[in-house]
Amino acid sequence: MGNTFTKQGVAFETFASIGKGLVRTTGRQRVVELFVLGGVFLLLVPFLGTHRVTDFAIFCIFALSFDLLYGYMGRLSFGHLLYVGVGAYATALSLQYLTSNPLLAIGLGIVAACLAGMLAGSAAVRATGACFALINLAFNRVGWFLVMSPLKDITGGENGLSVRNLRFSYFDFQNPTFRFGFVLASLLVAFLLLRVLTSSPYGILLRSIKEDERRVRFLGYNTYFYKWLTFVIAASVAGFAGALTALNYAYVNPNTLDVHANGGVIFACLIGGAGRLYGAVLGGIIYMVITNLLPVYFQRWELLLGISLLLIVFRFRGGIWGNLETLYRRLAVHENTDRSLEGGRPR
Amino acid sequence: MSLLTTNRLTKRFGGLVAVNDVNLQIEENETLGIIGPNGSGKTTLFNLLTGFFSPTAGRVILQGKDVTRLSPEERVGMGMVRTFQLVSVFGSLRVWENLVPCVTWRNNEYRSLWKFMTSLVGDTWADSFEALRLVGLENYADAVTANLSYGDKRLLEIALALSLKPKLLLLDEPFSGLSDVEIAKVLSLLQSIKGKVTIGIIEHKISTIVDFVDRLCVMNEGRIICEGKPHEVLKDSLVNECYWGKQETVSGFPV
Repeated sequence: MGNTFTKQGVAFETFASIGKGLVRTTGRQRVVELFVLGGVFLLLVPFLGTHRVTDFAIFCIFALSFDLLYGYMGRLSFGHLLYVGVGAYATALSLQYLTSNPLLAIGLGIVAACLAGMLAGSAAVRATGACFALINLAFNRVGWFLVMSPLKDITGGENGLSVRNLRFSYFDFQNPTFRFGFVLASLLVAFLLLRVLTSSPYGILLRSIKEDERRVRFLGYNTYFYKWLTFVIAASVAGFAGALTALNYAYVNPNTLDVHANGGVIFACLIGGAGRLYGAVLGGIIYMVITNLLPVYFQRWELLLGISLLLIVFRFRGGIWGNLETLYRRLAVHENTDRSLEGGRPR
Repeated sequence: MSLLTTNRLTKRFGGLVAVNDVNLQIEENETLGIIGPNGSGKTTLFNLLTGFFSPTAGRVILQGKDVTRLSPEERVGMGMVRTFQLVSVFGSLRVWENLVPCVTWRNNEYRSLWKFMTSLVGDTWADSFEALRLVGLENYADAVTANLSYGDKRLLEIALALSLKPKLLLLDEPFSGLSDVEIAKVLSLLQSIKGKVTIGIIEHKISTIVDFVDRLCVMNEGRIICEGKPHEVLKDSLVNECYWGKQETVSGFPV
């Protein structure tokens, strides 16, 4: 480490080159990202059909929201589906009682999930680790119970609730092609939102909290507030996914907030690579492919799910996207041997 | 008026009194060393000062304001910044990214939530880089922090603290675990800020800081047993006793 104190010239060269790299990571790159993402889903359509791909895209929105909470802030929740359920029921109920405009209903669904997140979050984010996961599980249970029994008269209990008024001027949610287009656009909006959030100083703060919350407090930040805020954002985006689920199926039932289904999104984030937005999308697609298509060919398809989870946990902690990144970085370092330590250009 | 005063500060953990009735004063822009054997309550004292623990009894007064019940982040807001005994930086981030929260905090950019959440990390690059240059880590700005040597991580942690523009900088054993070369590096960095910032520094090896500090406090078993000019303190018999043990000179019996 003798060369720590180097000449200014070298330092400024590094400064200039990295600075340039950072400026490049703006507008244009984001547009390209969105085009690539949209293109991938469009490419899937001929193989899987619009209906399935619409499903996949909704699940990816959910996975993205979960990734903000788990991948970026490091808080594993076993009850994130609650907000999907709240979003879905709020959308369906507001279409039944309040409005005939599906867009407004989606908005109300998001607001409902946001409010639920604010309430549950203010209790949940005080805890960490297993406690945080289980508090969320408890809230999810409560939500499920409310839908099943005390609110049975309006939610339809086990029978679920059909969604009416799917049509409003140009917005026709009865048309599968329109649904697909709308959901894909929603996915891109959600992705862009999270991309902006995670590449801001706030994103760095979240990753710092993930690593050492105590340290962040001693940097002058009220971590409780930022954890709560993140929880609310994640809940709102999940509520958005829920609202889309309701419109996509024109039907909501308690399965949308089934406690046991929470494993799926955790699995998706792990497969793709937690803490990376691309990882969440990739994981979401792969998880949906496995659960939708594998059962057609294998009777015991869950076995493969289990084996791949074991592989990820023991061998590929970064998930698919994380390992691709590491590989790429290693190649880049090989090319640039003058770089003293591992690390490519800042993203 | 002193920058920081403690008034009969006490912390008990069950039956153990870790900090016992400590009255400490730190004057503006002075450099105060706190020494003492392991387990004498130095770090607990720091934890009480910075709000990591709340005291069993007593008060902490910063610039005339009672901060005893304030949270750590509120105390940072009043200019009290600390480092940790076990170096704590964010290993998974890049070196310069470690400084992003500090820089946005200092520039007050975090107050506008919209700007904090939508501006690009890259906008803080210049300030972060400047803070790294201050401690001589600019060449590693782009490296993954976990790959730095322990000494460089220590420098980075001091850079984090300094970039918050503290009034009072509390360093908890900044030399522990460092090689002689690294100690010299950290010491010369501290030398360059001495007199501009009020520094409180914990160390258990006296020799490292005796020439650096203006004033020295010696702690033993939770109490401050002696304080004053460094060289005078070292001559004190009580200090020698707790560091080197009592000289056995009982007459008539073989020692």
